[in-house]
Amino acid sequence: MLKGVNRKLGLVIFLLSAGYLTLSYNLPTYPYIPVDADVIPKTLGWILLVLSIALFFAKDQDSEEQKARRHIPREDVKALLGVFVFVFIYITLFETIGFIIMTAAFVFFCSWFLGYKQHVVNALVSILFPVFLYSVFVFLLSINLPQGILPF
Amino acid sequence: MGAVEGILTGFEVALSLEGIMFVLLGVFVGTFIGMLPGLGPISAIAIMIPITYGMNPTLALVMMAGVYYGAVFGGSTSSILLNAPGISGTVATSFDGYPLAQKGQAGKALAIAAISSFVGGTISVVLLMIFAPVLASVAVSFGPPAYFALMLLGLTAIASLSEGSTIKALIAAIVGFMIATIGIDPQTGTGRFTFGSANLLDGIDFLVIALGLFAIAEVCFLVMNRRKKSVTNGKDIGSLKLSKQDAKEISGPAGRQSFLGFILGILPGAGATIASFISYITEKRIAKKPEEFGKGALKGIAAPEASNNAATSGSFVPLLSLGIPGSGTTAVMLGAFLVLGVQPGPMLMGDQPEIFWGIIASMYIGNIFLLILNLPLIPYISRILTVPRPLLISLVIMFSLIGVYAISFSTFDLYLLLAFGVLGFIMRIFAFPAPPFILAFILGGMMEQSFRQAMTSSGGNISVFFTNNISLVLIILSVISFAFPIIRNLRKKKAH
Repeated sequence: MLKGVNRKLGLVIFLLSAGYLTLSYNLPTYPYIPVDADVIPKTLGWILLVLSIALFFAKDQDSEEQKARRHIPREDVKALLGVFVFVFIYITLFETIGFIIMTAAFVFFCSWFLGYKQHVVNALVSILFPVFLYSVFVFLLSINLPQGILPF
Repeated sequence: MGAVEGILTGFEVALSLEGIMFVLLGVFVGTFIGMLPGLGPISAIAIMIPITYGMNPTLALVMMAGVYYGAVFGGSTSSILLNAPGISGTVATSFDGYPLAQKGQAGKALAIAAISSFVGGTISVVLLMIFAPVLASVAVSFGPPAYFALMLLGLTAIASLSEGSTIKALIAAIVGFMIATIGIDPQTGTGRFTFGSANLLDGIDFLVIALGLFAIAEVCFLVMNRRKKSVTNGKDIGSLKLSKQDAKEISGPAGRQSFLGFILGILPGAGATIASFISYITEKRIAKKPEEFGKGALKGIAAPEASNNAATSGSFVPLLSLGIPGSGTTAVMLGAFLVLGVQPGPMLMGDQPEIFWGIIASMYIGNIFLLILNLPLIPYISRILTVPRPLLISLVIMFSLIGVYAISFSTFDLYLLLAFGVLGFIMRIFAFPAPPFILAFILGGMMEQSFRQAMTSSGGNISVFFTNNISLVLIILSVISFAFPIIRNLRKKKAH
């Protein structure tokens, strides 16, 4: 039954639309309002539901390039996960540690992790770029970025 | 004061030494701020307001106008080079600008953007000068039914933006529209799909979606191709050279779309975003080789760029003639007028002609400065693409994160950015096009509001959309615009 990409995708989108519709039907409604807050969401939910069914029964028409794109080598999956972990750590500690330190660390280690071997250039870019951006945003444009543990 | 006399007075202001200096300063600052992550024309104007305290109002406003269109132009740079549109008006530019840059012709892409912006800016200023007083009344006659129909016409672009499967394009658009429904409903105050989170009450910011779906998703593919060279042909990356054929190719779209952009720019609420999308699809539809669009077509850069710049000038029509801001940016601009003690509106042209005409005249000069300032910088800016991939990946991620943080100051939005990046990556893997998603997200909220306003004013009678002449014409156009590409696709399939 679930042979073919469109069938799997159709099923996932069907479940998503069903979830969205449930939430839409739980939205409160008020009297004397011609079009309440729930009308558009309900309409969208039903349209998506119909489209998911249409996709389920649609023939797979993927090009070879598209098929190749879906195949991600294990090494690349690891690299992608690694980058996401870096970004996650960056976001989590960004406000506590501060913009300059976290950005410098992120740019340096992420580039290194992805295979950039010129460590001196990497270190210089990692330090100068955040310092420049921080100065422009904070001192020139008065848009505060987190200073964190640094005194400025 | 007649128009000719008025524009001469305007040029007296704009061509004075101080006038030239402030236009130049405005254009430079605007372009610089526009290029920075997360900062578009709204932030650029807001940042500049305190600087204008105590200044001569005419010169201050001439400078602010320069900041405005400079920032719109600056935003297209990150769209073309990094696939990271900083403002909604430059999303359509990235569809062809980024692929062309990836082919090693970033200089050419930026040069076309600069020249088309110049054409759009210049043609629209001429139109602004001639039609400003007349067109303002047309803009006011657009009620909610006509706005709804206009947004609907904008949404029909989905049919043209689908590369392969129309069903997938429609699904992407519906999901984009669904995301636009998140947050407090402005009419009833109901929180929709917020799951009790205060962070979602204001909805999701455009930048989170645009940078997630385009920049972060692109980063994922860069990570997978991290060992490849940054661009396929880096030799001519900064070259601005346009052949006669290129110039001929972009002259038509740039000219045509300047008119369209200006007209759409006049309508409050429509602005540069709708203008750029409609211009893009119009060119794609009338092109002899529509299949080249999305792969680095020169017309695909020229059309939205001419259009969004023309729309910027167009948005000055209701602002100057009626004192009505048609967009967030012109609302901040109105603030700048009021801070300087100038009340824009019907009396402005008669009471302070030097301001009214000074701003218009300064736009001619500003557009020339924009071109002179930017063309020599393009070879240097383009070199960003020769940065080794691992370093470029880290910098693009950082650029996107700061962009989002600078507008919301919330780490929650950064997590959302990451989530939309993953969604954008999955969408591309399974061939769901991102442009319909972002288009529906941008237009969806406005469309829902216009629809509900129209229905409220008519007491729930849906015929309001068909009894209003403007909306009826736009709805008919929407149906044709939606059905035409689908029928064409079906015929092609049958023929095969």
